[in-house]
Amino acid sequence: MRRQFDLQLKELHNQLVEMGALIENAINSAVRALIHQNIEEAEQAIAFDAEVDKKEKEIESLCLRLLCQQQPVASDLRLISAALKMITDMERIGDQSADISEITKLMAGQPYIKKLEHIPQMAEATIKMVTESIDAFVHRDLALAQSVVDYDDVVDNLFDKVKEELIALISEDAKNGSQAMDLIMIAKYFERIGDHATNIAEWVIFSITGERQSDELKSK
Amino acid sequence: MKKRIFRSMCILVIVAILFSSILVVAALFPHFNSQMYQEIKTEAAYLAAGLNEADNKLTFLHASEIRHQSTRITLIAGDGTVLFDNKAQAANMDNHLLRPEITEALENGSAQSVRRSQTLGNQTFYYAVKLNDGTVIRLATTTGNFLTAVVSVLPYLLPIVLVVFFLALFLAQKMTRRIVDPINALDLESPLKNQVYEELLPLLSRIKAQNKQIELHMEELRAKQEDFLAITSHMSEGLITLDPKGNVLTVNPSALRLLSASKSFHEGQNILTLNRNLTLKQAAQTALKGEHFDGLLTTKNRTCRLFASPVYERDEIIKGAIIFVLDVTEQQKAEQIRREFSANVSHELKTPLTSISGYAELLENGLVKPEDIPTFAERIHCEAHRLINLVESIIKLSGLEEKKIQVEWKKVDLLELVQSIAQRLKPQAREKNIEIAVAGEGAIIWAVKQMIDELITNLCENAIKYNKPQGRVEINIYRDHRKTVLCVADTGIGIPLEHQERIFERFYRVDKSHSKQTEGTGLGLSIVKHIAEYHQAEINLESSENQGTKITVAFSDVDGIQETEFGLRDSHK
Repeated sequence: MRRQFDLQLKELHNQLVEMGALIENAINSAVRALIHQNIEEAEQAIAFDAEVDKKEKEIESLCLRLLCQQQPVASDLRLISAALKMITDMERIGDQSADISEITKLMAGQPYIKKLEHIPQMAEATIKMVTESIDAFVHRDLALAQSVVDYDDVVDNLFDKVKEELIALISEDAKNGSQAMDLIMIAKYFERIGDHATNIAEWVIFSITGERQSDELKSK
Repeated sequence: MKKRIFRSMCILVIVAILFSSILVVAALFPHFNSQMYQEIKTEAAYLAAGLNEADNKLTFLHASEIRHQSTRITLIAGDGTVLFDNKAQAANMDNHLLRPEITEALENGSAQSVRRSQTLGNQTFYYAVKLNDGTVIRLATTTGNFLTAVVSVLPYLLPIVLVVFFLALFLAQKMTRRIVDPINALDLESPLKNQVYEELLPLLSRIKAQNKQIELHMEELRAKQEDFLAITSHMSEGLITLDPKGNVLTVNPSALRLLSASKSFHEGQNILTLNRNLTLKQAAQTALKGEHFDGLLTTKNRTCRLFASPVYERDEIIKGAIIFVLDVTEQQKAEQIRREFSANVSHELKTPLTSISGYAELLENGLVKPEDIPTFAERIHCEAHRLINLVESIIKLSGLEEKKIQVEWKKVDLLELVQSIAQRLKPQAREKNIEIAVAGEGAIIWAVKQMIDELITNLCENAIKYNKPQGRVEINIYRDHRKTVLCVADTGIGIPLEHQERIFERFYRVDKSHSKQTEGTGLGLSIVKHIAEYHQAEINLESSENQGTKITVAFSDVDGIQETEFGLRDSHK
């Protein structure tokens, strides 16, 4: 019985790693598409979304099956409940990568109003966060998970910079407005992806230690 | 085992009891019969004596308690008519004259016989005695046959069997424990050291032999495993083996390095824990489906080529997969450079030719006014010159690369040479309002003068060409650690970091548009590099965008030359 359970837990771990790989590839494609204005890459990133959604459903039903059949306790229960929460965040990252690519497709016909500078930095930072949050899960690395949580500030600061730049561009020339709006949306999506990566890292911390990070912060 | 011992014990005991009782019965039965016979005989003798004395036989018989005796007593007249019977109504009984014992008794005075009843399975003993008056008195007693005798014993056996049953149960348990406990307690590592009953000794020696065999096999396997590990861990290619589910069986250090995977434990884990690039997953899946896979996987700083193949057992069942990881980063880069070189060389050669052909066509068709002809001719001349320069440069480069040119090595005074080149380039610099400054000490190097001239000229021309108006070019010559260093620094536009590594490549231009704003072939720095290499000089680039570039070329001392030359100079002073 326990052996069967262990096998199922391992399967869950594998599936989560696969889903992690999917969102990493999705966000990478979305970023490349954005920087090189490449429609094909954008299509690829959008295609990943469907796969991510499918994976989410698979993992969800696996988790529910585990909960019903095995009635796990202690760290097993934590892992499964953390997995259930993590896949929601992962799925959102997949959605937002697709959203970024949708906008990229709209903007592909026109040159950027300004050489992209801070947005690629944001992209790089969020990719780093997503990658490291999944690494933290794979290797059960508490320190790495913690560093992801801390790194969120970098993305938030970059978002503020992008916002100011775009405001300046609009005030320079109102014609910049429409693309500036698109770019601010993209920046916001990256900022949200960073938040989701933070959530994932927090769930990793929870599954290891049993403590909810955000609760702690609130109580302070 | 316990059950089996118990069962066989029970069977043994029950069979023993059964047989012994049958044997006892069989032994006692004839004895019992003769005893019975004797008894009837005696009884008959007494009764006959009594009857002979009695006045009325019938009254005697009726009067006595003969009626209730277990023995059957019958009085038969000489003609066979039954006169009396204590177990039945004499009148109802048929004539007994033909009964053997009666016939014989009438003849001989007494007779006996035994009759078996087929239906009841018992036997009856008869004994008849002829009385004085011619009547016959017959006594009969019935006994069971052998079988009924045996059956009659059975009820007595039941308690015995029960006792035996429980005893067997108890003993079986005890015996099993005594047999099994030493086996369970065996020390299998050193079987012959166990203290056991002797029946186990053959088993122990077999275990010992087996142990030895296993040890040998293990040793063999370990040696093979070590060989495998030694080979794979020293391979520069990555090697990953997978089980049928796509989990990692083994992974060598090169694979970990190439895939930028962490050193943590990967055995038994999903392949994506090595690297979450989906190409890796795809390679594994394709191979496990039984097909070959060949594809590129790009990580942050590397390009790897993946070859995945299925591993079959008995050519049918897929037992796993092997993935080879080759580092093709350099190859990929070289390929890229080659492509760019081809594109560049054709572009650079084609541009002047297109111009020449265009101008020539105009002249041919008489579309040029006679007064404009000199201008056109000058342009054609200029472009042709450029083309010649370019081809010369290419030839020079190839020569340098092949190291086939005939050259004259001699002592060259670097400072002198630099000063003359600076003088030569002054007009060019003045056009852009750039100041050239030469500083440093005199230094003699062992070199090919034309080549060094070319090297310095190229560096200085670049420093002027890519400078900002009102900029400066500083040329410095100094000694540093047994080396003579030439340093050309400018205050120009600088070279972006990502291009710095590649600017010494042929035709490589930071400005990809090949614009004519700054003339150049993209071969200058390439020639510089080759000349420096030819002189075994070290070349170094420091540059930051919009601030300037500094290129240093350090010539190593050739033993005995520099020192003496410096010495000579000093003595001249």
